[in-house]
Amino acid sequence: MSRIREVAYYAGLWLIALIFFAPIAWIVMSSFKTRTDILAVPPKFLFSPTLENYEALFSRSEIFVQIGNSILLSLGAVIIAVVVSFLAAFCFSRFRPKGTDFLMFLLLSIRMLPGPAVILPVFLMYVGFGWKDSHLWLMLFYAMFSIPFSVWILKGFLDGVSTRFDETGRVNGGSWAHIIFKVVMPQVRPGLIAAFIFNLIFVWNEYLFNFIIGGVNTQNIPYALMVGTYADGGVAWTFIATMTSLYLVVPVVFIYLFQKYLLVGMTFGTVRGEV
Amino acid sequence: MSLVFKDVTRRYGDTLALDGLSLDVAPKSFTVISGPPKSGKSVLFRLLVGLENPDSGQIMLDGRDISSDAPADRPVGFVPQNFALYPHQTVAQNMAYPLTLARFDRAEIARRVDRTAGILSITHLLKKTPDQLSGGEKQRVAVARGLLKDASIFVLDDPLVGLDYKLRERLMDELKGLRDELDATFVYATSDSLEALTMAQHLAVIDRGRIVQHGEADIVYHQPSHDRALDLIGFPNANLYDGMIEGGRVVAGPLTFSAPAGARPGRIRVGLRPEHVLIDAGAPTTSGALALPATVTLVENLGGEAVVYLDCAGHSVTAAMPLYDAPPPKMHSAVTLTVDPATILLFDAGTGARVRSGEPMPLAAAQEALQRSFGTHG
Repeated sequence: MSRIREVAYYAGLWLIALIFFAPIAWIVMSSFKTRTDILAVPPKFLFSPTLENYEALFSRSEIFVQIGNSILLSLGAVIIAVVVSFLAAFCFSRFRPKGTDFLMFLLLSIRMLPGPAVILPVFLMYVGFGWKDSHLWLMLFYAMFSIPFSVWILKGFLDGVSTRFDETGRVNGGSWAHIIFKVVMPQVRPGLIAAFIFNLIFVWNEYLFNFIIGGVNTQNIPYALMVGTYADGGVAWTFIATMTSLYLVVPVVFIYLFQKYLLVGMTFGTVRGEV
Repeated sequence: MSLVFKDVTRRYGDTLALDGLSLDVAPKSFTVISGPPKSGKSVLFRLLVGLENPDSGQIMLDGRDISSDAPADRPVGFVPQNFALYPHQTVAQNMAYPLTLARFDRAEIARRVDRTAGILSITHLLKKTPDQLSGGEKQRVAVARGLLKDASIFVLDDPLVGLDYKLRERLMDELKGLRDELDATFVYATSDSLEALTMAQHLAVIDRGRIVQHGEADIVYHQPSHDRALDLIGFPNANLYDGMIEGGRVVAGPLTFSAPAGARPGRIRVGLRPEHVLIDAGAPTTSGALALPATVTLVENLGGEAVVYLDCAGHSVTAAMPLYDAPPPKMHSAVTLTVDPATILLFDAGTGARVRSGEPMPLAAAQEALQRSFGTHG
């Protein structure tokens, strides 16, 4: 009985996994097909793979700038966000300044509105200050959006590190910098990685603000995909398939490497962070 | 190095954790501070190592007030109550931590770590990480780390709590050995009064944020100067009764005896150590000994001695009897208790201060004691 149940259980899981995986398989396969093969009905599972699409993609010089921008903006924004969030969370966790709970709520409230709701004021501000089309200011915007969630994740982790560790450091003559970076930080590494991954995915996938407050210099991959979808009087399937396949590599690699931390982050940070 | 606490007060909101505490710790002594949980031991230590500052009062080290110095500037090593070993470092790195921070050179660090590890027999653990250690091993590593600071005063906040009996005994001996080797002042807190008596050269009894008695352990045990010192130190707990002095006689609980010369009439507290309550000891050997009929309600046989709980005219009495020549009494049996009035201790009902027989407390001293007592209750 239990044997049958186990088999049924795994069969169910595989089925669901395959359904979710099907579009990804389709797009990756398509990137090695000719345009005719992609649109063939019924879909072709056996075909002669070609690298033509990739050659065509890499012959567009702006593609390298766009990929570079995606990497630069994501890493830059996330590193800024995690560093700032860690220090903020340390302060909230250890010194509990007056109104900590309210400040934490206020931070989270940034994420309570959907991004598009604030796009107009943000756009006007960026235009007014002349921050449009600047890597730094776009990074800072993404960092601003990533910080609340990271603070919540990291505060949860920091609260779990006993203040006795800090005290041991202080008694033995450690400075605050020593305690923060040498004593406490190594103990919240899973939290740092979880915050890093979550925000990396967010910034990596961001299109709207890149389109509105970015510019020619800061175009990222989602922007390229959006703008490049229609070409030559139709949907540019070969471009979409190749670009998307490349685009998938970064999140897939990171999530595969750090899935353990992702789970930890989800159970500690997400549950509280998205209440 | 002399260490003196002067009128140290520390409040947390409405709670008075330390209430004008004064204590003079003898240089190079093994001083034990014993008191019930929440009596202020840990707070006192936090002030001494510099994790917190007193609201008022001074902590003098060799005549200099260190109460607002940064922790790093105080020559005080600390073994906290929970181990707080860094999980991301090996045992050796954990132990070396105070010396690493103080920028000792590597060879010297290795030498000191090896020596201390040898004394505490944890050499085989040096390469492990804390999560691979048992509770007792972690505790020893924490003790080692605390003692490796280059300091002249070491503060140990109940470091043996929760360890099994045998390991505790061994570690107690090792700690005393370490004190001698380091030739430093050890200040050691415990809520276990037996541990306090075993370890202490000097014993300070702390209660509700004040030191109620401080002196050699023997003296504190046999000549408690305060009813709280009698109550808190010793096992089994001492018998304490509230009573009256009237017409030259003390009546307190089951005890009625002649008041000592000069004792003033009025309320009084009476204390009696369990070992001074003798069970079925035959005819009294001293004149004036009290003979009291009682019923046994509970016997705890500890092997070499028994703790006997009795009911004596409606009052509970605890007796400790050695078992070398007689078996413990049976439950519910009727026995006769013998008490020598000379072993009975009298305390002022208001202040809790000891009333010495024959020398009643001078009025001024009594008033001062009253003012300094724990609030106005009692």
